Amino acid sequence: MHRAPSSRAVEPTTRHHRTAFSGPGLRRRLLAALVTIPLALAAAACGDDGGDSAADPNKPVELSIFWWGAEGRAKLTEDALALYTKKHPNVTFKKTWQANQGYFDKLATLTAGGDAPDLFQIDDNYLTEYASRNVTLDLTSYKDGGKLDVSKFPESLVNYGIVDGKLAGVAFGENTQGLVFNKTLLDKNKLPAPTTGMTWADFITWAENVSKTAKVPGTQDPSADYKAFWVWLRQQGKDLYKDKALGFTEQDVAGWFELWKGARDRGATPTADVIHEGNVTDISKQLVVTGKAGTSWVWANQMPELKKNTKDELGVIAYPGDPSAQWARASMYFSVFRGSDKKDIAVDVINFLSNDPEAAAVLGTDRGLPSNLDIRKSVSDSVSDPNMKVAITVQTELGAKFGASPQVPLKGHSKVRAELIKAAEEVQFGRQTPAEAAKAYFAVAQAAIGQA
Amino acid sequence: MGITAVPMLLSLYLSFTNYDALSDFSAVEWIGLDNYREMFTADASFWHAVRVTITFALVAVPLKLAAALGVALLLNRAFRGVGLFRGLFYLPSLLGGSVALAIVWVNMFNRDGAFNSLLSVFGIEGAPWVNDPRWALETLMALAIWQFGAPMVIFLAGLKQIPVELYEAASVDGAGPWRQFRAVTLPMLSPVIFFNLVLETINGFQGFTSAFVLSNGTGGPVDSTLMYTLNLYIKGFTELRMGYASALAWVFLVAIALITVLLFSTGRFWVHYADGEDR
Repeated sequence: MHRAPSSRAVEPTTRHHRTAFSGPGLRRRLLAALVTIPLALAAAACGDDGGDSAADPNKPVELSIFWWGAEGRAKLTEDALALYTKKHPNVTFKKTWQANQGYFDKLATLTAGGDAPDLFQIDDNYLTEYASRNVTLDLTSYKDGGKLDVSKFPESLVNYGIVDGKLAGVAFGENTQGLVFNKTLLDKNKLPAPTTGMTWADFITWAENVSKTAKVPGTQDPSADYKAFWVWLRQQGKDLYKDKALGFTEQDVAGWFELWKGARDRGATPTADVIHEGNVTDISKQLVVTGKAGTSWVWANQMPELKKNTKDELGVIAYPGDPSAQWARASMYFSVFRGSDKKDIAVDVINFLSNDPEAAAVLGTDRGLPSNLDIRKSVSDSVSDPNMKVAITVQTELGAKFGASPQVPLKGHSKVRAELIKAAEEVQFGRQTPAEAAKAYFAVAQAAIGQA
Repeated sequence: MGITAVPMLLSLYLSFTNYDALSDFSAVEWIGLDNYREMFTADASFWHAVRVTITFALVAVPLKLAAALGVALLLNRAFRGVGLFRGLFYLPSLLGGSVALAIVWVNMFNRDGAFNSLLSVFGIEGAPWVNDPRWALETLMALAIWQFGAPMVIFLAGLKQIPVELYEAASVDGAGPWRQFRAVTLPMLSPVIFFNLVLETINGFQGFTSAFVLSNGTGGPVDSTLMYTLNLYIKGFTELRMGYASALAWVFLVAIALITVLLFSTGRFWVHYADGEDR
């Protein structure tokens, strides 16, 4: 006898009670559920390598463009693109933007589906990953043919977009490493500000003094920070990468970890868990704005964004040591999808955004100092935001001391970065000695870039 | 069927390749069992993730079920406001795998979070839970256990199905509450317990959102929250090794299937289906 399970109050009871989940039916249902466990990884399709539909120049075209950033950037970018549409009424844009977190997941998924945007923003973390897999269009011929004008760009900035001899991305803004410090905190405690060019040892002593006087750890520990490690390496004639290999040795890593272990032991930095909090890329969690340390290691163009997250006054200098180890880094690039059928227009849009004075005035320094030097000058003359002004002044000052740009990071760079955080934290939490962590890190970094 | 089967078979194929998501499909190379070989012999992060995931499931699943059953027993009686309490206890699992909840959790279990403030009232100095590799996974376990509402509701439904007559008969025979619980409630409820156990075990192994949010997608601090699925995500999206990630996914599927089969085979010894086979 089958009866629906229902309230016992109205049911006569029998010896055989059914519960809602009894019987072999349950097993069947569970097995069915098992079989349909979804697998997350499935997307795959071919990239389309079609040519350009250059037939009718006035044919209506919709160009897809994708970038990461906050709302402010979205507004500026939309305004600048509207200017392009005004001049070329047949070209409209399908604009997509989102926060940095998850941006590259989405870009990879779109690319895997053969559906990458015609035009997309990318950074030096991923440029080589995409360029070496032939996702990005080689812009060299456009540059040589005059359709893409980078003649006003600093040469190092153009070169920083070249991967394996191909111009894979147009640098869309210049920035450099910046050590941001809490000026209010220092003034309140009558402490001196750190200065560009001070040695690493002097800097650590300075930070130790801040910890003692202000009762706030003097500096975030940058041992997990690849860009600080990179500058430090360059000051010793090494580099992060050299050709297809790592540009440093296991001993260099150990030395770097030792330097900061010493600083921690002297109380110049926060405890390991606080350092970990600051090791994320999220601007609002940087210790200098959360008040958990006197300084943070960032990119100079992040100053205005940092400023929004704190009431305190901030200052910015170069990383310690010889500032000529720093370089003009492309804060980001715009690249064209090689599979796009609107390549010419996409390149023209990049050219417009980089070189048109009107568009550049709209975009300002939101993506870093404009690459085009003429435009950079006019923008810095007219900028009104005081934080932006400081950032421009500092970057311009530092710019005079820059050395040559390093090569664009190798394929595997994102893993090299992530593993450095892991290794540094092993030391910070006291789970490994600097030598142990350096040994493990060196091996895994070598493997990441496919170095034999 | 096609919607499930085609992507699954494709991912099975990809697991034998070096597919990287970005290259043209024509560049995909068949590399045989290399992905699987690397996983089992060369990839330390694989074994680490397996350890983290098993630890998580072994602790979180039984405790979550125990909490669900305990609260279900308390709420399986008539008193004023019982509906409200049922709702309140169910609420956390309605929020389910939500990102917002994980963010709140992270903030509560910071060094200067609400939990440590509570501890300091009792003069205990807390740890920086979520930012400490010794405690981060435990914090995630606590979050999972706290969301016991879904199995609780199922337990409640099961408890309602147990006829009052059985308790009456037991009490006539002189059985106290504990004896009644063991001799009547547990056996009568065993199919429901089994159902919840299987479901929650699978859930436990698949935990992703909270670990992702807590660690910003890295599995940190120092890999302490590197759940299997998170490792799979990192391999697929951060390192762009989709072929390898597909292989990870397939090993995962087989492992969960095996664990489920194992649970079913033990079920024979403790699950009592009232209508038939073990009369």
